[in-house]
Amino acid sequence: MKPLLGTFYLLGMLVPGWLGYDRSLTQQRQEGVDKVASPWRILETYSYNRYHPMGEIYQWMSEIREKYTEVVTQHLLGMTYESRPMYYLKISQPSNNPKKIIWMDCGIHAREWIAPAFCQWFVKEILQNYKDNQRIRRLLKNLDFYVLPVLNIDGYIYTWTSDRLWRKSRSSHNNGTCFGTDLNRNFDASWCSIGATTDCESLTFCGTGPVSEPETKAVSSFIESKKENIACFLTMHSYGQLILVPYGYTKNKSNNHEELIQVGQKAANALKAKHGTNYRVGSSADILYASSGSSRDWARDIGIPFSYTFELRDNGTYGFVLPEAQIQATCEETMEAVLSVLDDVYEKYWYTNSARKAKSTALVLSLLMAFMSLL
Amino acid sequence: MQLRRQPLSAPRPGDTRPAAQRLAGPLLLLLALQGAGASGGPEDSGWLQDAEPSSRLLSQAARAALHFFNFRAASPSALQVLENVLDGRAWVNQKKEYKFDLVFTTEFYSTEEDEKRLGQCSAQVFFRNEKPRPAVNVTCSQLIKKERRQEEDYHLYKLMKQLKSPLNAVSIPDSHGYIAPSLRPVWDLAFLGSSYVMWQKTTPFLQYYMSQISSVKQWKTNDDAIDFDYTVLLHEFSTQEIIPCRIHLVWYPSKPLKVKYHCQERQTPEEASGTEDGSAMALTELSNF
Repeated sequence: MKPLLGTFYLLGMLVPGWLGYDRSLTQQRQEGVDKVASPWRILETYSYNRYHPMGEIYQWMSEIREKYTEVVTQHLLGMTYESRPMYYLKISQPSNNPKKIIWMDCGIHAREWIAPAFCQWFVKEILQNYKDNQRIRRLLKNLDFYVLPVLNIDGYIYTWTSDRLWRKSRSSHNNGTCFGTDLNRNFDASWCSIGATTDCESLTFCGTGPVSEPETKAVSSFIESKKENIACFLTMHSYGQLILVPYGYTKNKSNNHEELIQVGQKAANALKAKHGTNYRVGSSADILYASSGSSRDWARDIGIPFSYTFELRDNGTYGFVLPEAQIQATCEETMEAVLSVLDDVYEKYWYTNSARKAKSTALVLSLLMAFMSLL
Repeated sequence: MQLRRQPLSAPRPGDTRPAAQRLAGPLLLLLALQGAGASGGPEDSGWLQDAEPSSRLLSQAARAALHFFNFRAASPSALQVLENVLDGRAWVNQKKEYKFDLVFTTEFYSTEEDEKRLGQCSAQVFFRNEKPRPAVNVTCSQLIKKERRQEEDYHLYKLMKQLKSPLNAVSIPDSHGYIAPSLRPVWDLAFLGSSYVMWQKTTPFLQYYMSQISSVKQWKTNDDAIDFDYTVLLHEFSTQEIIPCRIHLVWYPSKPLKVKYHCQERQTPEEASGTEDGSAMALTELSNF
């Protein structure tokens, strides 16, 4: 009997989830196969409805990579000021199809905990459903997802250990008397021209120069190197319930502003349909406030067509300290919004090609028939 | 319920300067401006209507009006928050002062997920350059019957009376956004006190939200009233700063709220130094206009 069970366990490892998460089997599997494969310690009981400290998020990332190895790879983007590794996950269905990249980062501002929670939720949803969910399968045919669950790792850790409402990074300035740069004022987009300051004590300190911070540099260099293939740049924040399009540094609009608004509004509608939450859509300068050096503006300016900032729940009732009880609903509705944007991005690149072919074929056929009828 | 929307530019019949001094300064000024706005003569401060007021600006003014409304109602069980601005007009004058005429919807602060009843308010808000600011004239539809509201307040009051000092909490909510059910009334009462402070401090450029109660200095209930001394962290949106404010309030159901505060501002180039104080003791002259 035992050898047979052993075979089943091994088979169960090859087909993830085949044996399900029955408690007793799991326990025996862990005891039995410790040496053969990594025990999925954190992933099996990982709650996506709780906030997680950075250590757990690092562990979660490696286990996700191990469990979904056929589509997930983990990559080092760079190092933070305090020398911590910045990892992103790449979700890609191997194929010969040409791919476009969707970039999503969370937690550029340390206190906005719901954002990293959403990045983790997003990854989980894609990976748990990509095999049976037609919508996600279609997206993965031609889109690769690059997800950075926590951008400002030093700051995030600081909100767990010292100050829950910390916002900036943890770089040291003025001989150690002043800490942190607002990473979302540090990108090379009209740097420090408006809505930011060179006063290092301010919460909107733009840094000592554009892209002066290692975290900004890591993201910047990477995005720059892949920019021809990036179709969509999403950066997740809280709070305010907004979908923001460029720009913050000027009231001028991007050349595809109408389209961005349309796609954004469709996403807001999809979001609202889930739990009734109201999101507003508009340019940052119009509906939020003027700000320069943001990653979203910079991404648009280097040519990435779809660039959005999401400000998640809520509207100020709890603000940054959003109760864990709201994580699920927030993530579910945000997922609908993001998928809506991705559908539109997908259709822009892949549907139009086939639609164009269909239209031109129809045109030729009808011309041919008209010609024939004249004969 | 009939809502009276009074556009600031419309002339009002028989609008004489009130001789009685029962009405407070702000109301006087507001009425004076209404008269001046109507005449459009050379003596008025040159109000120019903003053709396209930003939604942010209108929301900010609406929130200021709601802070004042919540403070005046002095009812921790019936606090309301802004849901949406339905209609808004804005005027600016040469002194860079703003006034607004608004209609907006509200919902209950302590709303359950399914309970989404909306109230509606109309307000005129005047941001002056001198303190106290801003002047607010606001009427709201009745979201909850007066008797029911008083019952709920009294119920909250009894729950608060049961809480022993010192309150076993460092931060409310905790880092994960959790508020213990027994401490929920404390949060509501703190929000009521903060409403006064946020009303006082809101300008067309600065708007505030309550982030966390960072400490409770005192919680006394030996007399009839609740005597609450605490520090709250306010989040200012445009600067993103967190401003600690020490608030001391005294509350009894159906009585006006008494509140004193002291905020620790980080020095900014435009503002003068460091701290800001304010208080409201007797309120009768600011009652419903």
